[in-house]
Amino acid sequence: MSSETEHTDVLSHVLLPVANEADASATAAALERYGPSHVTALHVVEKGGGVPDKTPVEQSEALAEESYAAVRSVFPDADEHTAYGRDVVAEIFDAAEAVDASAIAYRSRGGNRLLQFLSGDVSLRLVTEANRPVVALPHEDGA
Amino acid sequence: MSDEDLAKDLGPLAALTIGVGTMIGAGIFVLPGEAILRSGSLASVAFVLGGVIAMFTALSASELGTAMPRSGGAYYYVNHALGPMFGSVAGWANWLGLAFASAFYMVGFGRYIARIFGLSGSVGAGPVSITVVKLIALVGGAFFVLINYVGAKETGRLQNVIVVLLIAILTVFTLLGTLRADPSNLPPATDVVTTLETTGLIFVSYLGFVQITSVAEEIKDPGKNLPRAVIGSVVIVTVIYALVLVIMSAAVPEGFIADIISSDAENPIAVVEVGQYIQGAVMGGALLFGGLLATASSANASILASSRINFAMGRDRIVTPALNEIHDRFGTPYRAIGITGGLILLFIVIGDLTLLSGAASGLHLIIYGLLNLALIVMRYVAPEEYTPDFVVPLYPLLPILGTVLSFALLVFVAGDALLLSFGIAGAAVLWYFVYARSRTEKQGILSKHVLSRSREMPDAAVNAVASVQPDGGEYRVMVPLANPAHEQELITLASAIAKQRGGTVVATHIVTVPDQTALAAAAERSDDIDQSSQHLLDNAREDAETFGVDVETHTILSHKSYEAIFDAARTHTADLVVMGWGPNSHGSPGRAESAIDELTEAVPCDFLIFRDRGFDPSRILLPTAGGPDSELSAAVAKLLQAEFDAEVTLLNVDDDPEAGEAFLAAWAADNGLEGAERLVESGDVETAIRNATEESTLLLLGATEEGLLRRLVSGTLVLDVINDVECSVLLAEKHRKRGLLERLF
Repeated sequence: MSSETEHTDVLSHVLLPVANEADASATAAALERYGPSHVTALHVVEKGGGVPDKTPVEQSEALAEESYAAVRSVFPDADEHTAYGRDVVAEIFDAAEAVDASAIAYRSRGGNRLLQFLSGDVSLRLVTEANRPVVALPHEDGA
Repeated sequence: MSDEDLAKDLGPLAALTIGVGTMIGAGIFVLPGEAILRSGSLASVAFVLGGVIAMFTALSASELGTAMPRSGGAYYYVNHALGPMFGSVAGWANWLGLAFASAFYMVGFGRYIARIFGLSGSVGAGPVSITVVKLIALVGGAFFVLINYVGAKETGRLQNVIVVLLIAILTVFTLLGTLRADPSNLPPATDVVTTLETTGLIFVSYLGFVQITSVAEEIKDPGKNLPRAVIGSVVIVTVIYALVLVIMSAAVPEGFIADIISSDAENPIAVVEVGQYIQGAVMGGALLFGGLLATASSANASILASSRINFAMGRDRIVTPALNEIHDRFGTPYRAIGITGGLILLFIVIGDLTLLSGAASGLHLIIYGLLNLALIVMRYVAPEEYTPDFVVPLYPLLPILGTVLSFALLVFVAGDALLLSFGIAGAAVLWYFVYARSRTEKQGILSKHVLSRSREMPDAAVNAVASVQPDGGEYRVMVPLANPAHEQELITLASAIAKQRGGTVVATHIVTVPDQTALAAAAERSDDIDQSSQHLLDNAREDAETFGVDVETHTILSHKSYEAIFDAARTHTADLVVMGWGPNSHGSPGRAESAIDELTEAVPCDFLIFRDRGFDPSRILLPTAGGPDSELSAAVAKLLQAEFDAEVTLLNVDDDPEAGEAFLAAWAADNGLEGAERLVESGDVETAIRNATEESTLLLLGATEEGLLRRLVSGTLVLDVINDVECSVLLAEKHRKRGLLERLF
């Protein structure tokens, strides 16, 4: 890649937040065709922040490892970054800052409003509060 | 901050409220009326007694928790120390105990709702009717299960507020109550047995503290905060229970409680009536509201705690790990929570309040007894890695008292609940033998200790321990792969054996890293390793699958490839290792191994070493002079015979042909190879073997002495015969347990 595009290319270093193995495979596959130069996979371990977590830490970390492996099956050179926090969106932005990502790419997991409400869908906050470009990846069937 | 610190976000107060929040709901808002009715002025004593028994266990749980901050708490410690049979009992008791307790809390919750809205009676007709209280309990139970199913984080934080609020309400109740208290109001004391029975009933009020240990890995500075939270929560609730009970008996006229309980009111709630009587409607209302919050928070906390137990049980394969699957949207262990939820609703339908609390008490007493035993075992065996920050004082007195008192109190749990508790414990043992024993691989510290000292321990003890050992499932054949050229032959051989034994092939790619490269550094640039490894292992998988056997694949990074094989055989609990050996197989021969290693270490399981000159098992030559290693050769020959219709020839070298023939005939009969051709030669053994192999495609040799294979692989020994013959050679060495003395002489 030539040096003058390095700072302007949105996909020069993509931060890829992934929730689990299936989500990671689908998200990475959706990103692949746009040929990002570098990818950092991010898994946010959702902490209770003063109360017990939904899942044991040990299991959360295993989930993170599986997710990274799934991303690496598409992007073998992908870096990984694990964040811990109650506020998933804030952790994604902090991680983007920490790894100096050029963009955050994610794939909304859809679902109706109730499901989005119950599972704490992050789409809206991700696009409205972002401090860098956010790429919403298309779904397989919609692309 | 390290990752580990980031994962720890429960402060001392949060940890404390998990314990207090789980316990206080039951003790004070549901059971006091019943307790006072049964044991009069000794009701308070019954609660204190429960607190004391709980305290012994709290001390033990604190020590175990600081030594092993792992998910799963009580179940984990018992499983770790006493092995998976008791682990199964503790796990099931903990899981079902929490489900019974949650059902109990929800029935209490139902009473409060019914009381607030003035509901009573039953709905439905005849056999399908259900009381309003139970109906509300079902709806409430389903609601709290749903909250945990979708993983609403807000409920947990609410818990802290609820606990503080409850303590405030009860403090005011106690302070104001003291002004009205008059010792002459105290009902007459009953006898000791009745008091103990009351303790058995109300012990459900003391099962929250142990749930703190199940989230030990999330607690900040666990060495300090865990014991404080565990012990502190027991002290706090014991004091509150005792004071509230005294006030409830002393601040109202004698017979008040009895009148309430035996009154026509359908769902008498003693604490609310007392509050209303002595402090008016405001206190009555506050207590009603408090009871609602308390029972709800107890149930909510118990549902979450039980999913931790499920996780730990799944991790150890006591139950299927599929139970721990995380929901892809909610991020919760939805299956575990769903099943627990189903159990809670079932228990609400079938059990009454005393049965539910009795079963929860009984099951937890079993766990507490085992937990104290686990502590004694850990202290006695004292494994190197056992370094608790908190240490139980007056060891072994307190843990022994904890064990004895917990088990003794079981006697006073009501008959039907006791039967149910023991029934579940018995079923859990059965579960271990029928389901878990063939799956779990974890061995308890105690049985490791007994088996490692099998010479000093009485035979009966060793046999008893050995007979309940987990067998880790089916027969496992491990194949260390290094050179892709030999992969197919080795996997074919291993798969044939695994197929005949109904076992699994474990293909491991052992990647040798130069000594100069740190393993961590190698792991970082593991991408290229992964690719070549993946390719090799994929081929292995395909080859094995053509035989229809199960395959597992692993990649191992190591500096010393042949040492890694021995280690991997242990880690992956292999029953048999099939490995290639020869030029380009596993490092260069000639590497020196320390003499002491050879002396003390034989192979960790049965080993087959394959010198590959093409795998063709059609005509096998099996020279034997008896001994365990050639028995393994015989077993392998039989398996190959069954799989490939191999023709087996037995060879014995003896200058007396008749004696040789007689030996071979007997040996063949012993090893089930009667159909094999028998050949007796005289003269030099190696020459005889060499001549005989001219007709054969595969030479199957038993190691002539223990440790032979290890030396062969490490290059300290060269067997000419292996290099001289033209066919492939399979060398067998059997795993045997022997003392050092026998190896020397």
